[in-house]
Amino acid sequence: MQDQNQQAYDRGMTIFSPDGRLYQVEYAREAIKRGTASVGVRTADGVVLAADRQVRSPLIEEQSIEKLHRIDDHIAVASAGHVADARQLVDFAREQAQVNRLRYDEPIGVESLAKEVTDYIQRYTQSGGVRPFGVALAIGGVDPDGTPKLFETDPSGTPYEWQATAIGGNRESLMGFLEDEYRPGRDLDSGIALALETLAESDEDGEIDPEAVEVTVVDTETHRVRSLDAETIGSHLAELDLDGETDE
Amino acid sequence: MSRFTDPLTGADAVGDPTAPELTDGIDGAGESATASARDEEAVNKTGTTTVGIATEEGVVVATDMRASLGGRFVSNKSVQKVEQIHPTGVLTLVGSVGGAQSFIRTLRSEADLYEVRKGEPMSIHGLSTLAGNFARGGPFFAINPILAGVDEEGSHVYSIDPAGGVMADDYTVTGSGMQLAYGTIEGAYDREMSMAEARDLAVRAVEAASERDTGSGNGVYVAEVTDEGVDIEGFDDTAAALAE
Repeated sequence: MQDQNQQAYDRGMTIFSPDGRLYQVEYAREAIKRGTASVGVRTADGVVLAADRQVRSPLIEEQSIEKLHRIDDHIAVASAGHVADARQLVDFAREQAQVNRLRYDEPIGVESLAKEVTDYIQRYTQSGGVRPFGVALAIGGVDPDGTPKLFETDPSGTPYEWQATAIGGNRESLMGFLEDEYRPGRDLDSGIALALETLAESDEDGEIDPEAVEVTVVDTETHRVRSLDAETIGSHLAELDLDGETDE
Repeated sequence: MSRFTDPLTGADAVGDPTAPELTDGIDGAGESATASARDEEAVNKTGTTTVGIATEEGVVVATDMRASLGGRFVSNKSVQKVEQIHPTGVLTLVGSVGGAQSFIRTLRSEADLYEVRKGEPMSIHGLSTLAGNFARGGPFFAINPILAGVDEEGSHVYSIDPAGGVMADDYTVTGSGMQLAYGTIEGAYDREMSMAEARDLAVRAVEAASERDTGSGNGVYVAEVTDEGVDIEGFDDTAAALAE
């Protein structure tokens, strides 16, 4: 009976249920859990974003699965959930970043960008005939003053700031791992290591194929987004013993 | 402009970099389209001499106090032509009084909005870019102000022309008395000069223009801007405005 009563708040549009919930937003969060994980780690020298590519078939071109996106010179985004929804938000973020440059001739702050995006997401929880975005973003970058920042967006349109976070599938256990292992003041390389170790937690054997993971960093020295190639990722993985090869 | 629209209002979800966020459509939108049809003789102009001088310590801005109609009749003898628009920034009124006042109100509210959103004041360079965008694409016409201010990068003086041109300089003058005021400043300026010396130079420049330019006169307003803030004072007698 309870179920039947609640069905009316469950479809069509985002309206409150009698107990104050927005079911469509909650379902959008479920959609994110169906995606593979992405991880963001803030270090003293910059921000690391890492994402697991879900390779469904050996025939797919791996680089066509994009989960990390450059937004501007100094900001990148990791996504989890609906790729198509993520692409809309990524392009919205790119436009906002350029608008800030046109308007003030200044690179946009990471927090400002995160809030522009979450304000946009929020509108899709309060309008008729639309559905919320089924995607979470980890927005990492370096502010114009050199401060590294990491934010998360949620389908409700709430911005959260993190020292380190995981979005997407298996989030609880990855967050547990990060909470145990995160130390402030790490350098960039040890941030990359932590991000890869966290992603490896999702794998049954604790292994990562360097081709199946993307890593992007924004460092405080150059203020630039830099994607690591498979070879570099591979050497990080070998160092961490996460590459599945047995050392003799 | 953007392909992103607000699902609630249908409006553009990405801001227009050339338009004010708050006053678009309220405070004089469409003014430029109708400006040429206006009776230019009836529009109050500042005529004006406004001077901005940057030093290592801060910036000094001096402006005369005359408004005129068609450059032939003094319509007001006590106009304050320099206003604070930022915690450490000022803008001068030059050109059409209505356009300049509207421009000041808009920039002030945009600077306040930026500060409350981002938790820190806008840089003066950011403010000058915004001012140039508004002058070029916004609803303001016939203005030629000076933007002067202090931020983490130091002291800045910018002139903003009616087409949106923004030029940084150590010192700058705008208004009908500019050639007289420049004559006073050329050769006497030194980036290392004290605020008191810069104040005297700025006041003397306005004084010279007031003597010979029919669009300038009736006293001087002086603004001193440092990283501490803005201090503006008016003097009917220009001599009283000189540093003691």
